[in-house]
Amino acid sequence: MELNIFVQHFINALSLGSLYGLVAVGYTMVYGILRLINFAHGDIFMLGAYFVYFATIVYKLPWAVGVVLAIIGTTICGLLVDRIAYKPLREAPRISALISAIGVSFFIENFAVVVFTGMPRPVVQPPILMKPIEFSNGVRLIPLGILVPVVAFLLVGALLWLLYRTKPGLAMRAISFDIETTRMMGVSVNKIIALAFGLGSALAAVAGIMWALRYPRVEPFMGMTPGIKAFIAAVFGGIGSVPGAMIGGLLLGFVEIMSVAFFPTLSGYKDAFAFLLLILILLFRPTGLLGEKLEDKI
Amino acid sequence: MRRVRSLTLTIFSIILFAVFLNKAPELLNGYWQRILNLIAINAILALSLNLIYGITGMFSLGHAGFMAIGAYVSALLVLSPAQKNAMWILEDIYPWLLNVNAPFIVSLILAGLVAAFFGLLVALPVLRLGGDYLGIATLGFAEIIRILITNTARLTNGSLGLKGIPAYTTLFMSWGCLGIVLLCTVCMLRSNFGGVLRAVRDDEVAAKMMGINTFKVKVLAFTLGCFGGGLGGALMGNLITTIDPRMFMITQTYNILMIIVVGGLGSVTGSIIGSFLVTTMLEWLRFVENPITIFNFNIPGIPGMRMVIFSLLLIMVIIFRREGIMGMREFSWDIFFPKPKAKSKAPREKSETVLEVQDVKLKFGGLSAIDNLSFNIKRGQIMGLIGPNGAGKTSAFNVISGFYKPTSGTIKFLGKSIGGLSPNEVCKAGMSRTFQNIRLFGHETVLQNVMIGSRIRQKYSWWMTLAPFIFTDVIREDSEVKAQAMDLLEQLGLEAFADEEASALPYGAQRRLEIARALATKPEFLLLDEPAAGMNPQESEELMNFIRRLRDEFDLTILLIEHDMKVVMNVCDYIQVLDQGIHIAQGTPAEIKANPRVIEAYLGAGASEGGAA
Repeated sequence: MELNIFVQHFINALSLGSLYGLVAVGYTMVYGILRLINFAHGDIFMLGAYFVYFATIVYKLPWAVGVVLAIIGTTICGLLVDRIAYKPLREAPRISALISAIGVSFFIENFAVVVFTGMPRPVVQPPILMKPIEFSNGVRLIPLGILVPVVAFLLVGALLWLLYRTKPGLAMRAISFDIETTRMMGVSVNKIIALAFGLGSALAAVAGIMWALRYPRVEPFMGMTPGIKAFIAAVFGGIGSVPGAMIGGLLLGFVEIMSVAFFPTLSGYKDAFAFLLLILILLFRPTGLLGEKLEDKI
Repeated sequence: MRRVRSLTLTIFSIILFAVFLNKAPELLNGYWQRILNLIAINAILALSLNLIYGITGMFSLGHAGFMAIGAYVSALLVLSPAQKNAMWILEDIYPWLLNVNAPFIVSLILAGLVAAFFGLLVALPVLRLGGDYLGIATLGFAEIIRILITNTARLTNGSLGLKGIPAYTTLFMSWGCLGIVLLCTVCMLRSNFGGVLRAVRDDEVAAKMMGINTFKVKVLAFTLGCFGGGLGGALMGNLITTIDPRMFMITQTYNILMIIVVGGLGSVTGSIIGSFLVTTMLEWLRFVENPITIFNFNIPGIPGMRMVIFSLLLIMVIIFRREGIMGMREFSWDIFFPKPKAKSKAPREKSETVLEVQDVKLKFGGLSAIDNLSFNIKRGQIMGLIGPNGAGKTSAFNVISGFYKPTSGTIKFLGKSIGGLSPNEVCKAGMSRTFQNIRLFGHETVLQNVMIGSRIRQKYSWWMTLAPFIFTDVIREDSEVKAQAMDLLEQLGLEAFADEEASALPYGAQRRLEIARALATKPEFLLLDEPAAGMNPQESEELMNFIRRLRDEFDLTILLIEHDMKVVMNVCDYIQVLDQGIHIAQGTPAEIKANPRVIEAYLGAGASEGGAA
């Protein structure tokens, strides 16, 4: 394989993987705290993409403003979802919250169809992000391909700093061990849970924006497949672990891009590989790469 | 009398409904017939997923995949060679497939069987996982199945799907299938095997100790559920006459999941009501997507609005009535009528030593939970196992009863080695136990809890429960077991609670029920893990007499973990003492009381010297 082609694939895998990782972080934080698979997370990601589309392309705001507004809007949506659909169910059996999550997912997708219509809309990329940079050895890269992983890594780094170096981060980690005990330590558990939803939604918004730029279009169901893939990534990495989610996302990105790059005839089975890998990991290391073992006490 | 009444009413309503179905083509237009068909098909799908999830407690998100298999198998069998020839445009159909043909009924059965076969393949590896992981793995399998269907164009015509499938799904067909599925499900769930399924859901660990091979039970329930999924998929394909891989996305599974949640997880009646409500609601809501004219106003249809309203309703159901319409309850004719007012010991061959524990070690990683434990228990003895917290007492129980495999050493029970056997095998060998934190099947009645303990001694196979009116052994054995369970409850003074839910019992009664359930497996050897925990002095006084009575009336040998020293010293013939995994002493209660190492372990170093001075 030519160097240029390989570098292209590598950068593609890196940016796809880091996008999965960004979304996966949201899944893993909520799961770590509430043991809830937030099925609506992929749709929050879609909202981020739509918001930036409307801000910059329909209302012609500058990109910087549009991005900030989209992140704020998506975060508010994420918080509303928690407040309306999950908070009343904190004491309920876990399946109730899960069904509620499925309901929310349906709601957001179809609400998007009602409001934005089901038609895919093309996204006009800012030219500065698309102008190829040529290297001396013949490798050509577009700035977007580099921007995506850089932004993703910076954000996850910032999140890790928040989790391991600040008080709210400490509270968040404490809740994931034992929610009742943390409550008795005087932590406002609901605020911390809202913080987790807010952070997760903000990261999903960033991922959604970058996704819309990379595959230049938005549509109401665009969050479904990346959502499920990102959840798989979170399971790969060990659900509940933030670095694990990022590693899982990257792994999934590389498996997907490289399997198609090296075996183009199998491209139809691309998604099957991700699921097959998932099942194998679950069977041989059910708690993922960095997950902790939970045991049933007899 | 009550049964005759219920049976008469049931048969009468079935006949009434059959007459209605017979007239339906004249009474209803095509649209309503289609909805009626969909209700029956959704009910079959809901029942099968409910069996997997609501009854047996396995969170599966793979139903759409098994539906897809069923739909394709049936469609490929009923399509004529000419139709197939015309449909495969992009790639050629496999020649052998071209001429394969079968009548509709045969195709339905094969659809179910093939789906069940795939279900079995999935279940064997994946059911070792629990909880959400199982859900994700099954979701993954369903997606893989869908991707395979899309990519094996020579077999399935790929993403183009199959069109022009003969519309064989008539009202009699769909409702007939539902009738059979319903009958089999109800019969199975009413038998003691049904109790076993619910027991696995409520507490898998305790079910193992009742001698139940829980893995096998789960695989069975999952496979049966997949049969239903395949059958439903096949009926669906022959109703809408077109199938393609995109029909069987995760959304399809969510729809069925919603039906069973709305109806009530674990309730058969709920699945039927749920499929009726959800199906009609989804159809009825179509009006919001069609343009309507009211007087002279034209209201344009709003695409997507139907699912918006539907999802909002779903969220509201979950938030305000999360147990669904029926909860876990079932329909019974009795609700329309006022309520009416409402022993076996064989001599055993005597072997002197019941249990021999020889040099048993148990390590978790580098941590040694038990180090070189050796002791014997003679028949009829009550042996105490004591030690401070973390001494390894419960670990010793777990090793003996098969939950942990000893790292080294041998355990012989009635002369046979049992080290490494699983709990259900240990139970079959004649050993039973209770748990420190009571593990009852909380949603089952007291009587059912005890009956599940008798399942290992029943001879009928699970499949006979699908048609107990043919295999009358099921009815006979179940009524025997019920009578024995009632006897047992009477002996332990629990008969007044027989029809209460186990979780509703007062604490002391729950402890006794756990023992009653253990006794139902007819053990020779009983392990009791802290039976006096949480009891007041008077209750523990009663407990002492109770334990002695157990030994005498049930011919038992007993090993007892207990912290209440008064109970231990009074009731035990002999005592073993553990401290931090090390076997530090053994002897009669009097010897143990005087043993300086025991006092040191309980009170700390120096205490024994102080006591001596």
